[in-house]
Amino acid sequence: MSANGTSRLNKGTSRWTHCRKRGADGNLRKSLEVGEPDKCSQSSRRQESFTTPESEGPVSRVKNWGDEVEAEEMRSNVQRDMHRYRRRILEADFPQRDRKISSGSSDSRDSKDSKESPAKGDIETDETTLIRRQKQINYGKNTLAYDRYIKEVPKLMRQPGVHPKTPNKFKKYSRRSWDQQIKLWRVKLHAWDPPAEEGSDLQQIEEIDLGEIMEFELDVECSADTEFQCPTSSGALLSLAEDSFAGTPKKMMKIEDAEMS
Amino acid sequence: MENSSKEEYKIQSFDLETQKLLKTALKDPGSVDLEKVSNVIVDQSLKDQNFSREAGRICYTIVQAEAKQTNGNVFRRNLLNRLQQEFKAREETRKRSTQEWVCLVSFICNIFDYLKVNNMPMMALVHPVYDCLFRLAQSDALQNEEEVDCLVLQLHRIGDQLEKMNMQLMDELFNLLRDGFLLQEDLSSMGRLLLLEILEFRAGGWTLSETAQKYYYSEVTD
Repeated sequence: MSANGTSRLNKGTSRWTHCRKRGADGNLRKSLEVGEPDKCSQSSRRQESFTTPESEGPVSRVKNWGDEVEAEEMRSNVQRDMHRYRRRILEADFPQRDRKISSGSSDSRDSKDSKESPAKGDIETDETTLIRRQKQINYGKNTLAYDRYIKEVPKLMRQPGVHPKTPNKFKKYSRRSWDQQIKLWRVKLHAWDPPAEEGSDLQQIEEIDLGEIMEFELDVECSADTEFQCPTSSGALLSLAEDSFAGTPKKMMKIEDAEMS
Repeated sequence: MENSSKEEYKIQSFDLETQKLLKTALKDPGSVDLEKVSNVIVDQSLKDQNFSREAGRICYTIVQAEAKQTNGNVFRRNLLNRLQQEFKAREETRKRSTQEWVCLVSFICNIFDYLKVNNMPMMALVHPVYDCLFRLAQSDALQNEEEVDCLVLQLHRIGDQLEKMNMQLMDELFNLLRDGFLLQEDLSSMGRLLLLEILEFRAGGWTLSETAQKYYYSEVTD
């Protein structure tokens, strides 16, 4: 701040210039003309490119508010889910005192989650990944099949292997493994599709290559944060349209048998 | 019930057919054209000063209703994008009609106030809102009581939230207001009073001391 008394009297321009020496993009601004106090160049500059705390860089002008807010919402939902999940894991690892006494050794837990739960701290935290996974989960949950499924089978009545279970986005998985779990989950959900015509269903079923599904069951290890690299065969499987698996329950049982072996 | 919801959402100024549309949107959003609903609301907000200050509430309710019923956010998306268009054209709007301009600002701020995302204000609106307030703090706008009035109303309502989202911008804004109050000669005395009050309001942590409250808001007995 200039200590010079005159800067206060030239309030419009020199104060302005002094406060905002650099634009939001980091470049030095050229000083305002004296005659344009209402130009509000600050706001027009801000519109061009400004950096929000969350984003990696300048926000492109093309983005509209609708999209921006949806992205914000997705991010904050994922953060909230992560806090809940962390609490849930901690509770499972450190149950109430009286429960501990009655359940004996630490292996016998009521919460199934802790048996499979990753070591504390070993959960997926990368926001991009979590958001991508959440989007895939959302596609599956936005189906009639899912609605019918949750109405028909309450959570408590779910049997592992028989009933589809939403993949846990917080567990560490390779990209391929995760994508495969999603595919299988969605295939299983199709068992609850609303009744449709027979003819078209059978046609589409032929496209599933059961051999490929079995291959990926074996969960090949890749590093968790490599971008999506898949051998061509899996590419073929995964490029099938999301809803091309319109299975009848009988067909589903075949695939599940294959999984369980 | 009919009248109370009219009151609550301040939709009396709409024609009856539109009122019906809005009421249906509140109860059964999936059955109406939500893009049309959002346009209807924005259009009215730009014309009706009272509605522009309260429209946030009805928008919020429709957003919630849609999310619950269909898991969608068509309404919110359309509303925000339409608002963005109006925001981009704000300088022309201001030239054309001060009334429309202050309605626009009131509406954007009201939306910022009511439409929260997981209980947090929408970050996408922070800079646009500040842009509007900075515009109102320019000397040509400060001359105009209508604009000063709009400015201080918004700061009363959402100033503390805005400050939390970006302290630096709020400081800069208040520098302008201070300067305006002190140095701008063509302010009306009402304009000056409004500015002084808002300066004290923020200085007091977004609230007025009891004595200040008495000074500004009590009836003066002469």
